[in-house]
Amino acid sequence: MANIIKSEMMKNISRQGMSRRAVLRQAACGFGTLGLSSLLAQEQALAATGPGNPLAAKVPHFAPRAKRVIFVFMHGGPSHVDTFDPKPLLTRDNGKPIPFKRSLTFAEDKLGGLMKSPWEFKQYGQSGIPVSELFPKVAQHVDDLCIIRSMVSDGVDHGGAVLQLQTGTINFTRPSMGAWSLYGLGTENQNLPGFITIMPSLYHGGAKHWGAGFLPGAYEGTPLGNDKMAAKDLMDEPIEHLLANGVTSDQQRYEIEILQKMNRRHALERNSDPKLEARIQAFELASRMQLEASEVFAVNTESEATKKLYGLDNEVTHDFAWQCLLARRLSERGVRFVQCSHSYKWDQHTELARKHSQNAREVDTPIAGLLTDLKSRGLLDDTLVLWGGEFGRTPFAERDGRDHNPYGYTMWMAGGGVKPGFIYGATDDYGYHAVEDRMHLHDLHATILHLLGLDHEKLTYPFGGRDYRLTDVHGVVAHKILA
Amino acid sequence: MQSWIVNMLSALVAALLATSPVFAQVEPVFATSQSEIDFFENSIRPIFAVECAGCHGAQLQMADLNLTTAEGFFKGSARGAIVDPERPAESVLLQVVGHQGKVKMPPPGPLSPENVSALGKWVEMGAPWPSDDSAAVVAPSDGAKPGLWAFQPVKDHEPPKVADQDWVRTPIDRFILARLEDKDVRPSAPAEKLQLLRRAKFDLHGLPPSEQEIEEFLSDTAPEAMARLVDRLLASPRYGEKWGRHWLDVARYADSTGLDEDYRLPHSWRYRDYVVDAFNRDLPFDQFVREQLAGDLMPADEPGDINTRGIIATGFLALGVKPLAQQDKMQVVYDVVDEQLDTVSKAFMGMTVTCARCHDHKFDPISTKDYYSMASIFASTKSFEDAESFVSEVYFAALVEPEIYEVYRKEQERLKARRYSIESIRDLGVADYVQRTLIPRLPDYMIAARQVREDGVPTAAARAELDEGVLQAWIEYLKPGQFRPYLDKWERAKPSEWLAAAEEYRELYATTSQWWSTELKSWGAEAEEAIRAGDDAPDKPAFDRGGMELEGRFFLEVSSGEGPFSVAKEDRESILSDGVRARLTSLSEELEAWTKAAPPEPPLACAIAEGEPVDQSVFVGGSHKNPGETVPKHFPVALRGAWQSPIESGSGRKELADWLASPDHPLTARVYVNRVWQWHFGEGLVRSSNNFGSTGEQPTHPELLDYLAKRFVESGWSTKALHRMIMLSSAYQMSSQSSEAVSEADPENRLWSHFLRRRLTVEEMRDSLLALDGSLDLTMGGRIDDGLKKDEYGPDATFNPDSVSRRTLYLPLVRNKLPSLYRLFDFADAGASSARRNESNIAPQALYAMNSDFVKSRAYALAEIVVRGSEDDAERLERAYRLILGRAPGGGAEPSIEYVRSYPAGDAEGESTHLAGWASLCRILMASNEFHYVD
Repeated sequence: MANIIKSEMMKNISRQGMSRRAVLRQAACGFGTLGLSSLLAQEQALAATGPGNPLAAKVPHFAPRAKRVIFVFMHGGPSHVDTFDPKPLLTRDNGKPIPFKRSLTFAEDKLGGLMKSPWEFKQYGQSGIPVSELFPKVAQHVDDLCIIRSMVSDGVDHGGAVLQLQTGTINFTRPSMGAWSLYGLGTENQNLPGFITIMPSLYHGGAKHWGAGFLPGAYEGTPLGNDKMAAKDLMDEPIEHLLANGVTSDQQRYEIEILQKMNRRHALERNSDPKLEARIQAFELASRMQLEASEVFAVNTESEATKKLYGLDNEVTHDFAWQCLLARRLSERGVRFVQCSHSYKWDQHTELARKHSQNAREVDTPIAGLLTDLKSRGLLDDTLVLWGGEFGRTPFAERDGRDHNPYGYTMWMAGGGVKPGFIYGATDDYGYHAVEDRMHLHDLHATILHLLGLDHEKLTYPFGGRDYRLTDVHGVVAHKILA
Repeated sequence: MQSWIVNMLSALVAALLATSPVFAQVEPVFATSQSEIDFFENSIRPIFAVECAGCHGAQLQMADLNLTTAEGFFKGSARGAIVDPERPAESVLLQVVGHQGKVKMPPPGPLSPENVSALGKWVEMGAPWPSDDSAAVVAPSDGAKPGLWAFQPVKDHEPPKVADQDWVRTPIDRFILARLEDKDVRPSAPAEKLQLLRRAKFDLHGLPPSEQEIEEFLSDTAPEAMARLVDRLLASPRYGEKWGRHWLDVARYADSTGLDEDYRLPHSWRYRDYVVDAFNRDLPFDQFVREQLAGDLMPADEPGDINTRGIIATGFLALGVKPLAQQDKMQVVYDVVDEQLDTVSKAFMGMTVTCARCHDHKFDPISTKDYYSMASIFASTKSFEDAESFVSEVYFAALVEPEIYEVYRKEQERLKARRYSIESIRDLGVADYVQRTLIPRLPDYMIAARQVREDGVPTAAARAELDEGVLQAWIEYLKPGQFRPYLDKWERAKPSEWLAAAEEYRELYATTSQWWSTELKSWGAEAEEAIRAGDDAPDKPAFDRGGMELEGRFFLEVSSGEGPFSVAKEDRESILSDGVRARLTSLSEELEAWTKAAPPEPPLACAIAEGEPVDQSVFVGGSHKNPGETVPKHFPVALRGAWQSPIESGSGRKELADWLASPDHPLTARVYVNRVWQWHFGEGLVRSSNNFGSTGEQPTHPELLDYLAKRFVESGWSTKALHRMIMLSSAYQMSSQSSEAVSEADPENRLWSHFLRRRLTVEEMRDSLLALDGSLDLTMGGRIDDGLKKDEYGPDATFNPDSVSRRTLYLPLVRNKLPSLYRLFDFADAGASSARRNESNIAPQALYAMNSDFVKSRAYALAEIVVRGSEDDAERLERAYRLILGRAPGGGAEPSIEYVRSYPAGDAEGESTHLAGWASLCRILMASNEFHYVD
């Protein structure tokens, strides 16, 4: 009997050109393999390169500088002239009427004159790059930062701006940059989602920000909770439905084993239809994910020193520390794209001084901790860290805050093949418009893809009659920032 | 040979940028010998006629290029000449048609080598044209218009003859079998009866067959059993729920505006219910088209009535995504116009026209002029109540007489005004209390708080007379390191200056408080005056004072929220004077009485209406800031011809609807029957069902497509007749199992040699799981509000699908916050018209089947039914299999009684392993591929 099944199986294999992975799986009877770690490792290696798996690691267009991305997103729009782009003229001309023409603004009225920064700037490191008092700890890392002071985008409102930052367009539904990265490169760890966004905001586009748009659903980001939740309520089961629900792991294993057996026979009777095979594999991956994810989310196994480094021991920094530490743990295990979100806090139309201070205090230590940790583990070399919001803020006042400014603002990168201790581009004397080496969001996207080894003009997907790109018909790689 | 549609402009631009500066116009060259004329007529003119004239001909000159006359040819395109007399081999024409440069024309493939070399030879000769070139380019010999196949008129075709007459049940089968026989492929065997029943039931209802249905159908051995089944399924309201949902994908239906604000569209459900009803009533599709585009302009069924159905139907245009907070309001309007045009052209014509918003379409014969001519129709349509407001307001149409609506609106304003006057009196009462009792002590509080900070305790004297709670709040508020610039002065003050400084803050606070009280008072008075005069309620005054850097911010922080002088809601009553309290009580009572007596909200619809007709300009490069020439309202030249009488009055929606719904339109019927085919078979005859353009796919069986379109129109555009024709065919009733030979001969099923196995959609999965244990609530229509605010979603609104057991199509769809269930299981993204669902298989789906609360509840509900139903385990097993899989247990690799009996013990003390074991068995069957796939 066993021989008959076996020969039947081999026939199917030869007919369907079944992958070696499938052979291994069938031979080993599926969930019985959970204990066979060497076989698992083999499967894993095969899965990472195997055909038919949309998430299989793919060969990039050219040698990549970065293998993965961590985007530390400051949702709301942190003010560049108060953080990384000091403007002495603003201090000198504080309160004076604006000496330039105002572009389209978000706020309709209550716009005032020039407003100096409430914070002092100091020079740091070998590079002597100035950083304001808001980020004293990140400032210690300036020699690793590549500060882009000439960001430009098109969205004056949050909706358009965040959507463009995440998907390249301000008013349509398109795949997110994480989804594009995954589509281009696959992922290196088949036991974890390849694109994870931690506590994202549901404002201003919500799920579109990690959506796959018209790309296959496999490229969609996996959200861990959202910004309405506290980290402590999320830490046990960050991925929905991850943990066995009302059954013990013994019971679950018992159950899944026969389910897979049943599914396998069902598939065998149907010429091992690849669709059916794919669903069988999804269950196997789910079980492995339960094991590996539980391990990756066990942040508490980190040393006390590491927890302290990120600020996990401090009430103010705890939540963002958890995000940043998790980002490192995920990146370390081959997750292609991780986003941390400090949402939605940086929108200081009023009370700039108080609220920007609060916000910075929540993220400064965690971000600095992340940079230190990545560097000490040798991960910073091939991990691109990106920091920034959806726009900057105006050099002129809106009440006691600042309005949105997509015309010139700052983002920074670190690691992953960018020039360390480097300032790229500049805004005008007051920090309103980018005037030198302007870096539009399309250019930023092109550059990120370039660092990942992808040509943004070649990374296309056909939909609705034409080939789409993350950068649409735009985008120029900023070669000057490449290390 | 296919005539490809080209856009020479982009080719030229690219080629020119890549090679040389813009060529000047060149002098015409005319033939000097008969042999040159013959060569042109025999070898060159046919190329232009067949390959190019669709876009660059007498009717349409994409990129200003006309390749059908000598004059047009030598003038070249908008960018100049296309031949270079000096260096003929380098002529742009040759680069483009030879696919040498970056841009390649015709788009999908180069001309044949013979044609390329003929053109090369001719250009080398100097590109001589006949001197007398008055003759237009000859049309291809079959009389068809040059252009896309899909633009040709629908032709009637005789179903072909076939050898195997026995296989033929309907004419469809002849078209299918003829091709199969031609390729020597045998169609798959007929599906087993149970498979066929399950297929038909999921297909038409999206639900599994019940035990009774299975028994009935299996025992009906008459030849017309299938016809009876189809009729019965089509007559059930479950049919409209399943097929309406198909159309809702195309119509990108959702219940919020998506994008930035994601506001709720509170009346959108009426459109959804209209669609369900339209399918159930088999509303003729041409009327369905007309109503969705211009139902508001059509007469009601009863003369004199408001055409509520027609108005609701235009929700089709109203339900798209809208960038409400975008501040360039002209852009907002034209983004919505674009979105509407995109949906209309994809849904009805299978065309993507919106590329032409910025430039002539690269692949299809749609020029920017065509785009703006069509856009003009939607720009003359009212989609917004107020597009100009800070967050643009969407238009809702009242489904009652305007006078009735106005009465309702006025009463709502009166209620609002009264609420405002109550609020103003209450706030004033609170302010009065603060002014009398707290403000005079403000310096004491500040100083005491400072003493606590610096010395640990305030002086006993100071403390004795202060409220402990208020003092604590001051201590908290004045904690250092809070970065409140308006407190700098206080922070800098030395102990000797404290009193004077605190006094200054008191003065500031008192002045601001007085000012704000005045504002509140006059607001309350205005509100009462509005009630007397019947005016709209006055807006609440905005708190804005002193640039907010100092006194304004100080006052706000101290008086509201957690501020030390804020008065908690629950304390407010007690601090008001008796007089104020009495006045508030009487006003509130009156308000309550008014509210009770107020007329109910009249029904509203998310719809559109006629707007101000616009004189539309072409927006160069897609930017409204760069208007070009004005265009009339008309339809694409390539489809409707160059000489249309422009639409002079109204928005033009009525004319658009009539044109699209005409039996002669080459696309409408074709596109729709192709969709219906796809929804039955999993793939369309044209696989790219939203794209019949040149980058879309060719039909696998063009004659069959046309045959179906013809019969469909003849039947009075009856969708149900189409279902019958398709479902009673042998093609539909084939097994999904294909033989080895067939798989090799027809791997993509383009010959339709077998039926395509498919996975359940998210709706089918959820509805079926609910149906298994009898908890599916079959109430139809209406709005579900659980967890959602009525008027807007707001970012905190969440809807949990587990909270209701209605059919999935009735659950609210918040675009930016779709429950993960939808995203996990490939729900169509409602951002744009969706032609088909994906079928992804990812691990989180498996986790859902294993660990979700929903599946767990279903498993236990089923286990209860199974265990209670019988004492006998064999009967229980039988029941579980019949309920979930519709068949008897088969043994072998499947869970059996033994499985339940050996189920491992759980953690919980005294837990019924038995019930848990049955629940586990049910969960397995519900998670099985057998359940999730339809053969």
